Amino acid sequence: MRGVAAGYLGEKVVEGIDLEVRAGEAVAIIGSNGAGKTTLFRAIAGLLPCAAGRVIFDEIDLTRLRAHRVAHAGVAYVPAERHLFPAMTVKTNLVLGAYPHRPHPETLELVFKLFPRLKERMRQRAGTLSGGEQQMLAVSRALMARPKLLMLDEPTSGLAPKIAKAAFGALERLKATGVTLLIAEQQVPLALSVADRGYVLENGRIRLEGTAKELAHNPEVRRAYLGVA
Amino acid sequence: MTAVVLDGIVEGLGFGLLGVGLTLVYGLGGVLNLAYGEFAVLGAIVVTGVRDVGAPMPLAAAAGVAAAAAAATVLDLTAMRPVYRQSGDHRLLLGLLVTLGVAFLIEGLLDWRDPLGALIVIIGGKPIGIFGVPMGRGSVWGSVIALASGVALVGFFGATTFGRGIRSAMQDEVGARLIGISPSFARTVVFALSGALAGLVAVSSSMTSPLTVTQGFDLTTFALIVTVVGGLGSVTGAFLAGLLLGIVDTVCAYYIGQYITEVVLLGAAGLTILVRPRGLLGR
Repeated sequence: MRGVAAGYLGEKVVEGIDLEVRAGEAVAIIGSNGAGKTTLFRAIAGLLPCAAGRVIFDEIDLTRLRAHRVAHAGVAYVPAERHLFPAMTVKTNLVLGAYPHRPHPETLELVFKLFPRLKERMRQRAGTLSGGEQQMLAVSRALMARPKLLMLDEPTSGLAPKIAKAAFGALERLKATGVTLLIAEQQVPLALSVADRGYVLENGRIRLEGTAKELAHNPEVRRAYLGVA
Repeated sequence: MTAVVLDGIVEGLGFGLLGVGLTLVYGLGGVLNLAYGEFAVLGAIVVTGVRDVGAPMPLAAAAGVAAAAAAATVLDLTAMRPVYRQSGDHRLLLGLLVTLGVAFLIEGLLDWRDPLGALIVIIGGKPIGIFGVPMGRGSVWGSVIALASGVALVGFFGATTFGRGIRSAMQDEVGARLIGISPSFARTVVFALSGALAGLVAVSSSMTSPLTVTQGFDLTTFALIVTVVGGLGSVTGAFLAGLLLGIVDTVCAYYIGQYITEVVLLGAAGLTILVRPRGLLGR
């Protein structure tokens, strides 16, 4: 994407964003609360119109597409609030993830391998799951569409530290299957542990970019996000 | 007593069929369509018109249902567009105003062009004995239509991919968009479906009593009561509420008097809001 800007009610929240994700890569967007990570993701996913710039995905111009068309193009977005279908069972949520197709048995197998817990909960309503399970379901529902790019916004939000760590363990295994990942995360050490490269977003602009290793050793990043003096 | 309850079931299935069209639109679009009953009246007038030029009854009925569905689709694609751009309370209020305006428009037009218009479908033949009670064939047919539609709707929303997709959009619109469902397309389909159901109500209810051009608002009111009691957006809830209200209605009419029934039905809706705001099966 090039020079993307977006925001609400004429106020730009993010501006001049140049960002690239290559196939098979895991890229982290790190930044504090309010830096514009969610706005950026919503703009890519088509939930929010881009005020400027272009979003190109796999030679398809996503810039003006609505959210459901972006989904059809192979981009799956898991928002921090998850947006599951609470009154439906885990199974129906997963089946709908493949909409409008029938669920692929291989994908379902992959989901159960990543999150065995969901298999036990198949008949339970999504609204009755714990926070961690809901996050697993949200990621799994997105995977059911066999997306080429999976965007995760704050996958650890609302999770206990131990569960957050386990969640990133699952992401590590997911990455090994070859899915391209774009992850926004406040928990920088976790994010950099999975990512190949990263961007630091500050006040709606990209402040730094580099490989995960470079960022982890960058003194600014260490001071601001890793709690190292 | 058996006869009264059976009459109640007949009426209740009709209520259910009536309510389901309103509750679906509210569940998905967040709009209470006050023109809903007028779609039924419009369908009824089209049925009489087509029948008068000599078409067989099933064809006339199909034309009426199609006309009501078409009218609903046109409303969704035109006057409702600005409504959908709003959200929350604004959408509900603007939706009430717009559909009320459309209701006046349709009622005024029909009252002007065809003030004495009424649909009566006479189903001949001897009454059928059910539990020893002779039931008119019209009642039996009307109930069969309502019940079959209910089963078809439950099947559509429960077992088909598209039906489940629409239901998902009722639960979480953003979530539905993220899995690739266009909420505006789903809304148009549900609006058209609701119009078709209104047309079907016109046909099936006129098998037991005539449907006149002035009854639009009455139908909307009954549909509203069923929607509140059954729970917003629930097909099964609407039919359950319809049955319950139908039986209450006929029992009250029989033991107290016809004058009390509408108050009792409104009371039931009020009580539901107080005791169980989400209705029998609502979310």
